[in-house]
Amino acid sequence: MYDSLGAQPGLPRPPPNPQPNPFGNAFVGAGSGLIRGGLGAYGEKILGSSSEYVQSNISRYFSDPQYYFQVNDHYVRNKLKVVLFPFLHRGHWSRITEPVGGRLSYKPPIYDINAPDLYIPLMAFGTYVVLAGISLGLHGKFSPEALNWLFFKGLVGWFLQVSLLKMTLFSLGSGEAPLLDIVAYAGYTFTGMCIAVLGKITWNYSYYFLMPWTCLCMGVFLVKTMKRVLFVEVRSYDSSRHHYLLLFIALAQFPLFLWLCNITVNWLF
Amino acid sequence: MAKEFNVPPVVFPAGGNPGVGVGAAHQRRLPTPPFPPQRFANPSIPFMSFDIGSAAASTSFSAPQFAGNTIGIGSSFEDEPPLLEELGINTRQIWSKTVSIINPFRVNPDLHEDADLSGPFLFLLSFGLFQLLAGKLHFGIILGWVTMAALFLYVVFNMLAGRNGNLDLYRCVSLIGYCMLPMVILSAIALFLPQGGVGILVIAGVFVIWSTRVCTRLLVELASCGDEHRGLIAYACFLIYTLFSLLVIF
Repeated sequence: MYDSLGAQPGLPRPPPNPQPNPFGNAFVGAGSGLIRGGLGAYGEKILGSSSEYVQSNISRYFSDPQYYFQVNDHYVRNKLKVVLFPFLHRGHWSRITEPVGGRLSYKPPIYDINAPDLYIPLMAFGTYVVLAGISLGLHGKFSPEALNWLFFKGLVGWFLQVSLLKMTLFSLGSGEAPLLDIVAYAGYTFTGMCIAVLGKITWNYSYYFLMPWTCLCMGVFLVKTMKRVLFVEVRSYDSSRHHYLLLFIALAQFPLFLWLCNITVNWLF
Repeated sequence: MAKEFNVPPVVFPAGGNPGVGVGAAHQRRLPTPPFPPQRFANPSIPFMSFDIGSAAASTSFSAPQFAGNTIGIGSSFEDEPPLLEELGINTRQIWSKTVSIINPFRVNPDLHEDADLSGPFLFLLSFGLFQLLAGKLHFGIILGWVTMAALFLYVVFNMLAGRNGNLDLYRCVSLIGYCMLPMVILSAIALFLPQGGVGILVIAGVFVIWSTRVCTRLLVELASCGDEHRGLIAYACFLIYTLFSLLVIF
């Protein structure tokens, strides 16, 4: 299902030539003459000649990012419900597959509530940064540099979560899930963090209730996701090891939440 | 240092020598060039020799051009386009675009068909100046945040729009910059309101919604797709402008 050469989990890929490369067209259509000439020359030199090489190499490690952005309002609303209240989700947790060009691949997020997407994690991360700024400001400690540090702290937290999930997959011997899938699953924790920080802003004491609650919800969501979707790929089935690792994932959410939801000027804690 | 170009001799008018009668030590010496100036001796370097006395009266003054420029000496200055036009700064267009942003309910996307960066530059500069009046030095922060916000919106919009996403980065920066106008007005108003009060929060909320509305509508109309993703894009713009309003409020 996942092959090591850049899995194409979504729509059938059209022939590579007409596919627009959103990162290669940055300098086309620039406005005034001077800027167009200067930027165009540099842009073609930097992005133009190396784009084929970069594209071919990137597609080996990243699946097509377009797949993760095929979302709409309905999906976003329901996915938020699933992420924030995972125990209310009555349906199954596995992704729907469809045969595409002789291979089985997953349906895009519009058609499948269990498919990961990158829109919600990105927006949740942005909301977390903005809410953290508001929280700093209400305590009188706001400065733009502090907000920049919070942005990097959030990125580090996201990276730690990704590496946690990736390590559990490696320790089970299957590292073949697409990287962007794992990035998406790790990014869903920011939705819970946003709720916790929002609680901290509105009423200080609600934080002590909301934070463990969202932490628990995130743990349940991740456990259920990892169990159904990702462990399907694992070759050996070792029941007790599975369960210990899942428990470890759920427990590791707690220090991560403590670290990231504690919004201070001091970067480390 | 060896002289590589012809320099006209400095000629003082006779009788103007102030050193006369003071002493031998203060006697001025006329600086003599190592070689006499050659007038039109070398045709590849069109050198216009001139006297200091006649320079002020001459309207066809032009600096000596050593690059072998074949433009006529007397007409090159008058034939150049005006500076703003050469730089691509169309002040009338900037003004009309600015006025079109002020009305949040009727958005005219045809004016913004032509993206330019000079209007946003003016807005960001005035934003920084109003912040400076409030005692905060935020010019670098504003520049960095606008860059990051434009990249963020560019990625999100093109990914959401899919195969027919044709927003380019230049137009994205231009749109974000123009829709920063309500933030500039907010920072001007914030100078007169007490910091951290309810008034500034309410006004900031209204202005952020104004910015978001204009930006979303312009994006959706100009980039020819994304109508079904209007809410999703609106949230991204909302995040960006809330971020900038934080700079003003706190």
